[in-house]
Amino acid sequence: MDKKRILIVDDDPAILRLLSTNLKARGYEVTTATDGEEALEAVQKDFIDLMILDLMMPKIDGIEVCRRIREWSDIPIIILSARGDENDKVKCLELGADDYLTKPFGIAELMARINTAFRHRGDAAVAPAQSSFACDGLEINFAKRRVTVNGKEISLTPTEYSLLQQLAVNSDKVLTHTMLLQTVWGNEYSSEKEYLRVFVGRLRKKLEPDPKKPKYIQTIPGVGYHLAMA
Amino acid sequence: MKDNESILVVDDDPDFLAVIKRILENKGYEVETAASASEAISLIRERFYNAAILDISLPDADGTELLSRFLERHPDIIAIMLTGHSSVQNAVQSLNRGAFAYLEKPLDPETLLSILGRGLEKQRLVLENRKLIEELEQHNHINNTLLSVSQAVSQSLDLQEIIDTSLDKVAQYTGIETSFVYIHENERLVLMGCHGLSPEASKTMEKEVDRDTGIIGRIFRQSRPVIVEEWKDSTEPTLAFLKNGDYRCFAGVPLAILGESIGVMGVATNTTDCFSHNNIELLTGIAREIAIAVRNAQLYEDASSAKSLRELDSMRTEFLANVSHELRTPLAVIKGSANSLLQPDVIFDEPTRQYFLQSIDKDADTLTRLVDDLLMMSRLEAEALEVKKTPYKLTEVVDSIKDRLDNLTARHNLILNIPDEIPMVNIDDVRISQVLTNLVENAVKFSEENTTISIEAKANGKEVIVRVVDEGTGIPSELHQKIFDRFFQGNGRKSGRRKGTGLGLAICRGIVEAHGGKIWVESEPGKGTKFSFSLPVN
Repeated sequence: MDKKRILIVDDDPAILRLLSTNLKARGYEVTTATDGEEALEAVQKDFIDLMILDLMMPKIDGIEVCRRIREWSDIPIIILSARGDENDKVKCLELGADDYLTKPFGIAELMARINTAFRHRGDAAVAPAQSSFACDGLEINFAKRRVTVNGKEISLTPTEYSLLQQLAVNSDKVLTHTMLLQTVWGNEYSSEKEYLRVFVGRLRKKLEPDPKKPKYIQTIPGVGYHLAMA
Repeated sequence: MKDNESILVVDDDPDFLAVIKRILENKGYEVETAASASEAISLIRERFYNAAILDISLPDADGTELLSRFLERHPDIIAIMLTGHSSVQNAVQSLNRGAFAYLEKPLDPETLLSILGRGLEKQRLVLENRKLIEELEQHNHINNTLLSVSQAVSQSLDLQEIIDTSLDKVAQYTGIETSFVYIHENERLVLMGCHGLSPEASKTMEKEVDRDTGIIGRIFRQSRPVIVEEWKDSTEPTLAFLKNGDYRCFAGVPLAILGESIGVMGVATNTTDCFSHNNIELLTGIAREIAIAVRNAQLYEDASSAKSLRELDSMRTEFLANVSHELRTPLAVIKGSANSLLQPDVIFDEPTRQYFLQSIDKDADTLTRLVDDLLMMSRLEAEALEVKKTPYKLTEVVDSIKDRLDNLTARHNLILNIPDEIPMVNIDDVRISQVLTNLVENAVKFSEENTTISIEAKANGKEVIVRVVDEGTGIPSELHQKIFDRFFQGNGRKSGRRKGTGLGLAICRGIVEAHGGKIWVESEPGKGTKFSFSLPVN
């Protein structure tokens, strides 16, 4: 398998060098960018598998970069920011980032999050035993990782897809917040309920005819979520 | 019938006069008689009569002439002309001149009383109407006055301006020159303004009075007007100042809104009996308008201080967010580098290990500098920066930091151009050295290698101007003010160079201003930057 290429975007050269040294030592290819413009160029030019993105940058800031990339690409985006504000975190996740890590951070933690993001891409995931799922217009082809609603193909980011797949293969059960966080993201995420809320919101926006009155993903208050069978 | 309606009867026949007098007096009228026109005229000069009964042919004058004289003096008088059969023509003429009626002699008493009754009834209506109109006009006057006062005082939200305008308007609309206002503040009534007082009187006036005692306090507490006629006999201490003027009469009205007093307005005059009911009503109304304006101004002041507190609070929050961000970046490098070395899954080669250690070392310095800068900033903001000014030659200051400047500009050409004849400046050399170092550091950060950075100085009258000039990226004019704000970060940094704390120029400005100087920038994108600051000459 080819080496994965990670794009690091940060305007601080010391952070860039710290990250690239660590990533290269673990077998990744690395591209760096020092502002939003360079980042957007790099994503268009190179084959980038994952992006680590700082928020406060000259020219185009990280939030804008995230928003623009999500218009046409579903590459995993991990935000690495010195801003620890909960609002920033939710805003980035809602705009399509996959994960959010606050500076200062531990190397092991960052590596774990990179692995989680790649797992969502399906590289390491075990495909479910059943080959497809269908319910009231929503169809999922697990082998092709293809999702359609009433025949129209829906583009999902890897994390969104992982979450939907988890809900679909367990559509006979209610999945608790903790179960979903642990299986879709990983054990270390079991208390990150915000992630779940934001990603369910993102899925509903893409799948539901009326996201405010969801017919597919049902909220079971205080417990978790359930993908409704017709 | 109204009591004591008065009637003047004029006839040259004494018997007739006596009879008529008796008849009328029996009906309750007050009756006066005159036997000639001249006597009648002198009577009518003395007082008003409700009605006059005039014989048309008098020995010394024509009755119609007399009628004219009467009406001239009292246009409302009810005149009844008495005529003989032969002079009906004259009687008709007198009706045209304004008589109410004429009666032919011999007189029928019943007819006379009936006509007189109707005439007086008409007169009562006329007089009543006139009184109503006068009252209406008085009300209009009060309303217009209040409107004018209200408009004048609502032009401003400045408390002092409102009070000063109010007292001017009181003088303008009521003619009362002497007036003053106390406003309730922290349990006391505080003098906010006075108008028309003699200098001696205003000097002896109480600047603050108790709200629980004295006449001013009573008006405030009871929220009711008080009038003191001939106050000279009073021992009221809060009005003692009026003794220093020729004042005789005092009135005070509350400044109140919805029954709640917020102050007191007092007026004084040198005449007595001038505070009629209407005058007090007008003053009370004016006081109400002033009270509304004063309250608005107070509310506005409260609101704007609340707003500035909110602004301060949001600035503080922003400051903390910025500090947190600036601290986290070098911390991330320190933590990440140390953490890299501790990871069991990768063993780095020696140069990489060295690199991580150097990063830790360097960013620990960055953190130290950030903490120093923050401390300096907070001292500057608390105006607690100690500036120990001593006369210095600028060349000495630059010499003392020459090594550091050389280090900073190792990859640039540093040129020093400080003429010897520059006069001594009164400065704290350590602080000014910091300004120079910060400016040179900035120049390095935003210039290509091998470009020139120069430090220049020239004398300009009472000040010395110091300049740090570079050939770097330049600064667009819209940022020329902003760059001196704390945490402002420019974008033109040369690649690979670290961000600073965003405090350098803010600190420079603080230090220069603490020396009584100014700092400014001249620059255009692509054309280099020239930072200048002035220092007062010793």
